[in-house]
Formats: sequence, C-alpha cells, structure tokens
Amino acid sequence: MVAVVRRNPTAVMLLLALAWPAVELVLPLRFHIAGSLRTVFIFAILALGLNVVSGFTGLLNLGIAAFMAIGAYAFGILTCDTYPFQIGFWPALLLTLIIGAMAGFLLGAPTIRLRGDYLAIVTLGFGEIVQDVLKNLQAITKGMQGINPLPSPTCCASGGGWTWRELQGGDHLSWYWLTLAILSVCVLAVRRLERSHIGRAWISVREDELASRAMGIRVDRVKLLAFATGASLAALSGALFASSLSSTGEPSNYDFQVSILALCIIIVGGIGSVAGVLIGSLVMIGFNSIVLVKVAEWMQEVGWSSTSNVLASPNNWKYLIFGVALVLMVRFRPQGLLPPTIEDDPAHDAPDEPGALR
Amino acid sequence: MTDAEVFLQQLITGLSNGMIIALIAIGYTMVYGIVELINFAHGDLFMLGSFLALTIVGALGLESWSGMGSVAAVLILIASSACFCGTLNWTVDRLAYRPLRRAPKLSLLVAAIGASFVLMNLGLFWGGLPLDVFSGGIAAAAPKDFPDLFPDLNVLGNSAVQITRTDVGVFAVTIPLMIGLTLLVKMTKLGKAMRAVAQNPTAAALMGISVDRVIGATFFIGGALAGAASVMYALYNNSIGFQMGYRAGMDAFTAAVLGGIGSLPGAMLGGIGIGLIRAMSDQYVESKWTNAIVFGVLILVLIFRPSGILGAKQREKV
Amino acid sequence: MSPTIPSVLSAACLLLFPCSGTAQELKIVSSLPRTGNANGQTTSMVNGIRMAIEEVGGHVDGYTILYEDMDDASPQRGNWDPMIEASNAEKAAANPLVVAYIGTFNSGAAKISMPILNKAGLAMVSPANTYPGLTKPGLGEKNEPKAYRPTGTINYFRIVPTDDLQGAVAADWAKELGAKKVFVLNDRELYGVGIANVFVASCAKLGIKVLGNEGVDTKAPNYRSLVTKIKALGADLVYYGGTTQNNAGQIAKDLRGGGVRVPFMVPDGCFEEAFIEAAGAENLNDTTYITFGGLPADQLTGKGAQFAKSYMEKFGTEPEAYAVYGYEAASVVLDALKRAKSKDRSGVLAALKETRDFHGAIGSWSFDENGDTTNRTMSGQTVRDGEFVFVKALGAESPKDSTNSEPKIDPLNSTKGS
Repeated sequence: MVAVVRRNPTAVMLLLALAWPAVELVLPLRFHIAGSLRTVFIFAILALGLNVVSGFTGLLNLGIAAFMAIGAYAFGILTCDTYPFQIGFWPALLLTLIIGAMAGFLLGAPTIRLRGDYLAIVTLGFGEIVQDVLKNLQAITKGMQGINPLPSPTCCASGGGWTWRELQGGDHLSWYWLTLAILSVCVLAVRRLERSHIGRAWISVREDELASRAMGIRVDRVKLLAFATGASLAALSGALFASSLSSTGEPSNYDFQVSILALCIIIVGGIGSVAGVLIGSLVMIGFNSIVLVKVAEWMQEVGWSSTSNVLASPNNWKYLIFGVALVLMVRFRPQGLLPPTIEDDPAHDAPDEPGALR
Repeated sequence: MTDAEVFLQQLITGLSNGMIIALIAIGYTMVYGIVELINFAHGDLFMLGSFLALTIVGALGLESWSGMGSVAAVLILIASSACFCGTLNWTVDRLAYRPLRRAPKLSLLVAAIGASFVLMNLGLFWGGLPLDVFSGGIAAAAPKDFPDLFPDLNVLGNSAVQITRTDVGVFAVTIPLMIGLTLLVKMTKLGKAMRAVAQNPTAAALMGISVDRVIGATFFIGGALAGAASVMYALYNNSIGFQMGYRAGMDAFTAAVLGGIGSLPGAMLGGIGIGLIRAMSDQYVESKWTNAIVFGVLILVLIFRPSGILGAKQREKV
Repeated sequence: MSPTIPSVLSAACLLLFPCSGTAQELKIVSSLPRTGNANGQTTSMVNGIRMAIEEVGGHVDGYTILYEDMDDASPQRGNWDPMIEASNAEKAAANPLVVAYIGTFNSGAAKISMPILNKAGLAMVSPANTYPGLTKPGLGEKNEPKAYRPTGTINYFRIVPTDDLQGAVAADWAKELGAKKVFVLNDRELYGVGIANVFVASCAKLGIKVLGNEGVDTKAPNYRSLVTKIKALGADLVYYGGTTQNNAGQIAKDLRGGGVRVPFMVPDGCFEEAFIEAAGAENLNDTTYITFGGLPADQLTGKGAQFAKSYMEKFGTEPEAYAVYGYEAASVVLDALKRAKSKDRSGVLAALKETRDFHGAIGSWSFDENGDTTNRTMSGQTVRDGEFVFVKALGAESPKDSTNSEPKIDPLNSTKGS
C-alpha cells in the first residue's frame, strides 16, 4: 500500500478526490468541503502552470496571477452577454488557453534572457501592470465591477440523476467533478510534457544553462516555451475561476498575493513535482479557505469568540497562524512535502552562485 | 503656481519620497546581496518600527517637545526603532532563515513570506493596544495618526514652492545614513567580511570568517535601517497602519533590482528614481497609471541593462 | 441544487448530531469581511446584529435564533475573498436552518453570492451595499439586476440608500457650499468610482466645473504630488469617492499639509471614528463634509435613540453608522420572521417583501419593488473639535413620493466606466 502511494502519489490523490463526495454523504454538514475543494483544484491548475516555469525550468515567476487574470477576463469578454462574442463555455475555454500562451510569449520574448531575480521582478511588475490596466481600461474590462454573469458549462451533471445540462451556480458537486476532470487532464498533459524531450530540455536548462547550450539546446526557445505553457495553464485556471463564480470579480482577485500563494503551493508541495503541486494546493488553499474558516466557526460555537478586543476575535489571528504554519512547514520539510524523485530534484545540487555586495 | 513652480515642487516631493524608499531599499539590498533572499518580511519589519515609534511618542509625550527638543525627539525615535528592528530582524533570521541556509533558495522565500504574515499580525495586535496614541485601540486595523513632530513650515518662507522642515529632516537623516553605510561596507573589517560572504560563503568560511555571525550582523544592520526609515516615513506621512509594509517592501525590492542587486549606490539611485517617476506621473499623466508606469520603466531598464543601473554584468560561469 | 440533496444531508446531520438541529431552531448568518482592514467597521456591524437578536431575547415565536458571524475574507487576500464568499453562500444555502443571510459588506461580493442565494430562495439583506446595479434596472450594466436573479424573483434587500442618491445630494450640498470648480478623486473600487461618477454627473448638471476625476493608488504612502496638481489647478472643493480603508485619511492629511484648505467632501464610507483617527482631527476640523445615507445616532429619535443608548451602555462608545446598519438589517429580518406565516425561508422571504413602514433605528421605511429601502433621508456632517457634528438633513423627502423624485441621472454618464 505504502509502496503504491510512494510510487504514484499523483494518481492516488486524484483517486481519493474521486472518492471524496461519496465519503461526504455520510459526514455531517459541517464537514462538507466539496464546495471549497473546487477552489483547491482550480488553484492546483494555476500552480501546475507555475511549476512548469519555476519548478521544471527554474525561472522564478512572481506574476503568474497576471496570466490567470488575462484568462479570466478573456473568458469573460468572450462569453458574457454584454459583449458581442458570446461563444459559449467550451470554445472560450479553449481560446483562453491560446490567449494565455500568447500573453506569456509576449512578456517572455523580450525578457527571457534576464537572470534569476531580475526576471522575477519583471514578472512581478507585469502582474502590477496587468492589475492597473484591468482597473483603468473600464470601457473594455468594466474596471472594478467585474464581468458578469458568466455562463457555466453544459456538461454531464449530477442532481436528480445524471443529465446533460448547463451547470448552476449552486451545483457545487457538479463543479467539483468538472474541475477535477480538467485538473486531471492538465496533470496528465504536464506529466507527458515533463517526460518528453521538451521536459528534459526544461530540466536541463534549470540544472545547467551553459551545458545545455553546449549540448545544442536552444535555451531561450526552451525557456520561452515553458513560459508560454505556464501562462496558458494559468489562463485556464483563471477562466475556470471566473466561470465558477459566474463573475470575473475584481481585478484584485488576481493580484500579487495570488502569485505568492501559487509560489507557496509549489514550494510547500515540493518544487518541480506534480504530486507536490496537488498536495501543496490542498494544504495551502485548504488551510486558507477551509481549515481557518472551520476553526473560526467552531470557536464561535463554543463561545470563544468575541469582538470586545483585538485579541479575542479568532479572525485576527489568521495571519499569524498562516505565517507560523508556513515557517514551520519549510523549516521541517525544506524540500517540500512530496519532492520530485532524486534524479530531477532541483535542490540536491544547488550550485554556489556568487552573490554580490558592493 | 506657475508651471515651473509646479515642476519644482514635484521634484522636491519626488526626491523626499524617493529618499525614504532608498533608505528602506539599502537595508533590503544588503540582506539581498548576501543571502540572496527576496525578503518579503522587510516591509513588515519596517511597519513594526513605526508602531514602536508611535508608542514611544505616546509614552514620552514627545509631541510637546519643541525647538531643539523635537530634533532630540526624532533622534530618540530613530535610535530606538533602529535597535528594535535590528534586533527583531536578527531574531527572525535566527529562528526562520538560519535553519534553512542549506535548503533550496526558494524555501527561504516561503519562510520570508511566512515571517511577513506573522509580523503583520503582530502589527494588528499592536495597533489594538489600549493606548491614547492608538485612540484607545477602538479599531486595531485602522490607520493611525502619527503626530507632526515638525509642523510643516515652509523653509522657503512664503514662496509658492514648499520645502517643509520634514523634507529637510528626511534629507538630513537619509544622506548621512547612506554615506555611513557605504563606508561601513567599503572600509571596515565587517564590511569586508560581508563582501566576502556575499562572494562565496564557503571560501569565506575557509578563511576564518564566521559566516553565520556576518549574516546575523547584516540582518541587524538591514533591520536597523528599516527602523530608521520607518521613523522618517512616519514623520513624513504622519500616518501608519499595519498593512503599510506591503507597498514599502515592494518599493524597496523594485528599487534594489532597478539599481542592481546588492549595490548600495544602486539601491539609492533606484529609490530616488522611483520617487521621481511617481511624482512626475501623478502630475503629468494620471495617478491611476503611476504604478504601471513605474513598473513599465523598470522592465524597459532591465531589457536594456539586464543587471540594473549599477549592477555588475554577471559572467557566464565556465 | 436539487431539493433532495439538502434534505438527505439534513437527515444525515440529524442522525449523527441529534442535538444540533432540533426543529425549534432557526439560524441567521452574516457574511462580512472580518479579517483585514475592514475589521473595524464589520465588528461594529456584528455588534449591532447581536444586539438586535439579544433584544428579542434570542427567540421569536418559540424558535431559538442562532446566529453565525461568517468571515468572507481570508488572510491570504486580506480582504473579501470571492471564493470564500461563494462558499459562505453555498454553505448557508445548504443548511436548511438558515432563514436569512445578512451581507455583504462589499458590493462586489454581493454580485457573487446573490445568484447562489437567489436559487436557494434564501433572503439576503445587505447592511452596506450601495452599488445601484444590484437592484435598480437602468443604472448599471444592461443585464443588471436580472443577472443576479436567475429565478426571476427578488430575494435581495438593502437598508442603505444607493450611490446614485448619495452622490447627487453631495453635489447639491457642494453647490450650497459655494463650490464652482471641484476636483474629484476616487479609489478605483466599485463603491468609490460609482459615487464619484454620480457626483461628477450631478455637478455637471448644477453648473459646477469638474477639473478632474482621478483614480488614486490606494496603497500609496502619500498623495503629495497629487495635491500639488490640485493646488495648481485651483480647485475650490475636493471630493473623494472612497473609504477610510482606502486612505481617505491620508488624502485629507496631505491636502492640508500641502496648503490646500478648501472644503473636502467624502461619502459615508468615511463616516466612522477611524477616519478622524487616521486623518488627525486638526486636518478635518470645520473643513470636511461627510454625507451619510441616514441620520447619525445623536439625531435619531424613538427606537434609534434607544438603540444608541443601549449600545453606549454595552460597548462604551456611541454606535457608529455601521453598527446602526447592522442592527437595522438584523431587526428587519427578525421582524419579518415574526410576521412570517411559515417560519422558514419562503415565509421570511415573503414577509420581508411585504415590509412596509418598518419602524427601525434609522427611521420608518419600507422595501420598494426592487428590494431597496424607501428611506431617502440623507444627512450631512462636518467635523468639529475632532467629533462628527450633524449639520443638516440632505434631500429629505417623504418616502411616498420617492419614486418620482429620484434624481434623474443619465445612466450612460453616471456609470460610464464604473
């Protein structure tokens, strides 16, 4: 049993996710988390994208949320009934994949040669610019209003038997299946990529750029491809995010904090590992939007919550708990919860890059 | 105001704001240069420094000190916030970062993000203290008014262009600190050790340098600068809040990279540059585009100078 | 969701936790951002809600009223989190005991939860949303508000007047104050942009020149360069469409510090002690004007005065505007529950729709056909000696003829880009 989990944690996790709704049926209402788990799946797709860029290829990207925003808004503009396109869920979803890749390509092309943290800040800056553009170009993006309502997919949905119909906002179980299915497809695709010659080129570039170049790998092109793939997956997650809320929401839903969250997911999970992305999403998003919520709820029930002073309200402790948990997690599992297997572990042989202080 | 006066005024505002950013950025870039850590907690450390300053203002009644007294008051605040932030930064390093020295670089980043959340939460609690300066803590999360220790008198008399005494104060504090720090890194033994550790920790350790101690000292100095900067920030803006560290840290990071990672003069230049761009964009473009313009300039600079304004070209390793 | 699933779930729930869900309990939930920078306002709202429930002794017609204070913010976002708002709404919808949902604080959050609750037939009462498009056709996007009502029925109510009303009375007041050239700032958020755009449109009608309507960076450390710009343009009144959390205090401070001493006007998002605390009283005294959709606590009579008094006794401070809103929202829900023929969701919803001449803490009002309050009483405040001081009632009309006297604002102008 343990051996199976060891050998293929990704498949085991996806299977567990498949079984969860059945488990929920016998659990009391307070333990129902399928509605929040779809958030976990959507962020897992985002983190998968970041993992291609930062995990496989070793390019620190602090602006992955910008591509999520581009995906969400592209999806919104393509489907919302206040715009002329209204092409429907599935065509729009496919188009966002392409639009995301193009956006990644456009940012990457001039900047991909930058090294390390210089590239990181370019991506961070790009994220901020996208935020401002979405907020300011109100004629196109509706600014802070967000684009709504957005259509849900027509697909096979549960609820009084399985039927082919459009999902409803409250259909959280069907949303659960849908996001899980799309996530599984993404996981498969990323794993295929990882094991293809492209994936090997990514890892080779991460490990030693100069040697890769000497081996005939076209480093810039390989990096750019990773960038575009990551952006494309992030855009897909943005489209799903917006569709599941039936609104793109505010541009600040895709701000720097989201990029940081995605980064925490892949690092806590184990950078460079697909299984790590899944466990990382569960831990981070689960902590943020399930555990903390449930704990606050429980504290209210037992009467440990009051508004009399700043220390008495459990909500005021959330940052602290979140922060301490992050510090402890990397303290005791610096390589992540499910690190990649040794031969493609980015950490096992970190080169001693010279710093500088002048 | 004539157009020329407006331009001059924006220049002064931009410089003052830029000086404060630079002051945060040089503390940032020092740590950055040595441990290569994008220290997300730096901004929140800075925030706590300003909360300490406000607490001291309340405890000692510094508002009522006038004339030379107010200069003394500012010096007291700077000294105490610097010590406090330095110690705190050293402690954070000891507890959160040091155990990760040999871990992958990115896990250090997550530790810094975690530390940043913790410090921010401490700021929230601090703002809820039942003290008069925090308005009795009725709303812990609300921004706090920081008393004007230097009333905003115009040193230019009745001219339309304003250089306030606080502007002068910002210059008077920032410039010596910058010079002092540069000297420290260039001239002293500690500075030499720091540069050695930055270049190659293993080699430095072989040469008898206690790497952990040097890094600890760097964190202390970097933190102390954040503390000093927080006092100048609070005096200049007259308000503080527990979430102000986010923007401060972001600005410092941007300034540090714009100038060239690890370069102290670069960080100063970067900070001042950002201040000036912000002021000019507010005046001549529109404030809602200011942030985008700052980052747009940053990206352009990096495309043409991939290692920042004063950064050294990185050699390909062979 | 199909009706069978919740009943299966509740059966399972009863089976496992027999004590937690007896038939004699009903639940009211609120969903407000409790983590992060809106914590101050929402704390006073929750205080208000709790007081309203305590006032009826926690029971209505033999039903015990449970209350849950849900947080729609997360530490990671530091503000309302759309995913959490959605899951709060889904959670409330799935729990058959819940008969009313008090929220949201942010209009953007309401856009997410409204359709979910609408499908669940659960009444939603917002103590704070002011974005007109949530209820009023023709003022927002062309698909609003029907986008939020997938079932076609109305389940959303609000007890605060909308931005289109407040922005217009603010412009009237600005004219009375003698403004001829105004500079308008906004925080680039739903509320701030909306109200600033209405203010601009109303100014144009009143012949007041608008020198600019600029979105500001709400995280900026200061606004000195913006102030220089305003000073150079020679505005004689500055309006900020925004809230305390979005740095209104810093703007006031920098205006005065930069030598701009003209009147500074803000909407009800700044009507809280925290605004004075953040700006510093000396920067606000006698030159700051605050509009508010209701009367302040010290002007309230009858039930309102009583509420103010008991709030004072319980919490040691005067209730802020937000506390009154919270109290009012919970009171109207409890009132509806009392009148409801069946003590369940549909009963409460039907009773809420029929709320007429409700005598609450902010006056006597009804819900109109859109679910909006008929209360048109607005008030103007200034700051004197570091305290809010009531100046006058603004645009007060009797609720009856309110439908004809709504300011007619060209929807194209008022919402362009908001």
